[in-house]
Amino acid sequence: MTALLSLSGISCGYGANTVLRGISLDVPEGSLTAIIGPNGHGKTTLLRTISGLVPLTQGSMQFAGRAIQGRRPDEIVAAGIVHVPQGDLLFPEMTVLDNLQMGAYLPEAAKEMKTRLEEVFALLPKLKERGGQIASTLSGGERRMVGIGRGLMAGGKLLMLDEPSLGLAPIVIDQIYEVVWRLTESGRTILLVEENAARVADKAAQVALLDNGSFAWTGAGSELMVRPKILETYLGT
Amino acid sequence: MDVWVQIFASGLTLGAMYAVSAIGLALVYGSLNMLNMSHGALMALGGYICFYAMTQLGLPALVGVAAAMVICGAVGLAIYLAAAQPMLRSVNFETQIFIATIGIGAILENVILRTFGPQPQPQSLNLTGAQIIGNVHIPNQNILILVVAIGLMVGLSLLLQRSRLGRAIRATAQNREAAQLMGVRVGVVYAQVLALSGGLAAISGIMVSSLSGLLPNMGGDPMLKAFIICVVAGLGNVYGTVGTAIVLGLLEAGAQYVLGVRYSFALLLLLVIVVLIWRPYGLFGRRQVVRL
Repeated sequence: MTALLSLSGISCGYGANTVLRGISLDVPEGSLTAIIGPNGHGKTTLLRTISGLVPLTQGSMQFAGRAIQGRRPDEIVAAGIVHVPQGDLLFPEMTVLDNLQMGAYLPEAAKEMKTRLEEVFALLPKLKERGGQIASTLSGGERRMVGIGRGLMAGGKLLMLDEPSLGLAPIVIDQIYEVVWRLTESGRTILLVEENAARVADKAAQVALLDNGSFAWTGAGSELMVRPKILETYLGT
Repeated sequence: MDVWVQIFASGLTLGAMYAVSAIGLALVYGSLNMLNMSHGALMALGGYICFYAMTQLGLPALVGVAAAMVICGAVGLAIYLAAAQPMLRSVNFETQIFIATIGIGAILENVILRTFGPQPQPQSLNLTGAQIIGNVHIPNQNILILVVAIGLMVGLSLLLQRSRLGRAIRATAQNREAAQLMGVRVGVVYAQVLALSGGLAAISGIMVSSLSGLLPNMGGDPMLKAFIICVVAGLGNVYGTVGTAIVLGLLEAGAQYVLGVRYSFALLLLLVIVVLIWRPYGLFGRRQVVRL
């Protein structure tokens, strides 16, 4: 399988604090790669680095055969990497529909606006009902759906989801993951950040365990569950 | 009764004029958290360019206005490139740009002073005559200001709601990072917003000077009022700013009649204090913490 995204030896940080040290990872096309690990160990920073929001200090990134390190966030999006950020970061004063349309801001995506919107509504029918509602008045689960829907509007070749379960009630988490699994089954390449390893292990083709800024273990999701030692050591479960 | 119609008419003109200058400030603050203290100097510059184009070069009024808008827009762009952009990543951006633009404003004002001299000049773009309805006397210039201001606000509203640039401006203002993740090039949006704000400053400068004459420091007072309007409305909220400007314009005209001119500004400030005690983030503002 070819790697859509490959990271080789990337390091980065905020000011004097190094957050990631020598991260290397291949994200194969058409499957789910999950990054797990305890909070505060750099999972979100890794996605932000790929998006160009955090500059890297070392290493290189290849996406669809092109080097993308040092690119601006808008160039990364245009290249086909869509990042659904942690905490949704919706446009609070826009309607649901406006938020979704912002997802297709780039000209390439704007051309597909209509079909994409139908696809998003088919996957997340609730958004169609809520189309005219101002984003800041939505519930947590609805916001998450808008965040994911907005990401899907951009199209892209790689979808990065940062903790889609964060801050939601268990039943809502199940609904959100239902959507994520459907996207996975439809053959999308997804890079998922999740704290709860058990939730993703059986669906992920690849799992990488991020501990203190570097990968402590990388392997198949199925392998993770039969090696309880890993979970015990790093995640305390 | 006629008196109140008269007051309403002049208050509306005042309010519309304030709105044009306040929108420029609100747009800039809303998108990049920048208090542009050189806005007043840009207004003066716009007024003088229009005056110069019409009297010295003998150009028609429309060309004078367009020239003022283009040049002030370019100066706005230059302020972004020379001052705002290099400071953007700094932690103390808001404080730094606040001070930097005070300096830029002083430079601009002195350039105007050196070029055009300290003596007051009448603005050449000024309609004479008035519409007289019964006992109500409305100068044509006031009507022109009102019409232009309304036209500008409608145009700006369409720009913000309908155009791609407008969507990018709103998105950047509401969540900078999310806008970047949608593919918005925020640096370009900032540059465009500053240029737009410069163009608006030029028009409001021409409006203000057509009523009270040209002076190099003429922008100070209207800029202060524009800031008051922005703060009362909630910094960065464009639609709230328009509404607040019109209400404050009407209030000022009323206060001038009832209490006298000297108390109208004091009343305005009192109102600001009351509003900010009641709603520290402004009438239409979002709750947020801003350190300056």
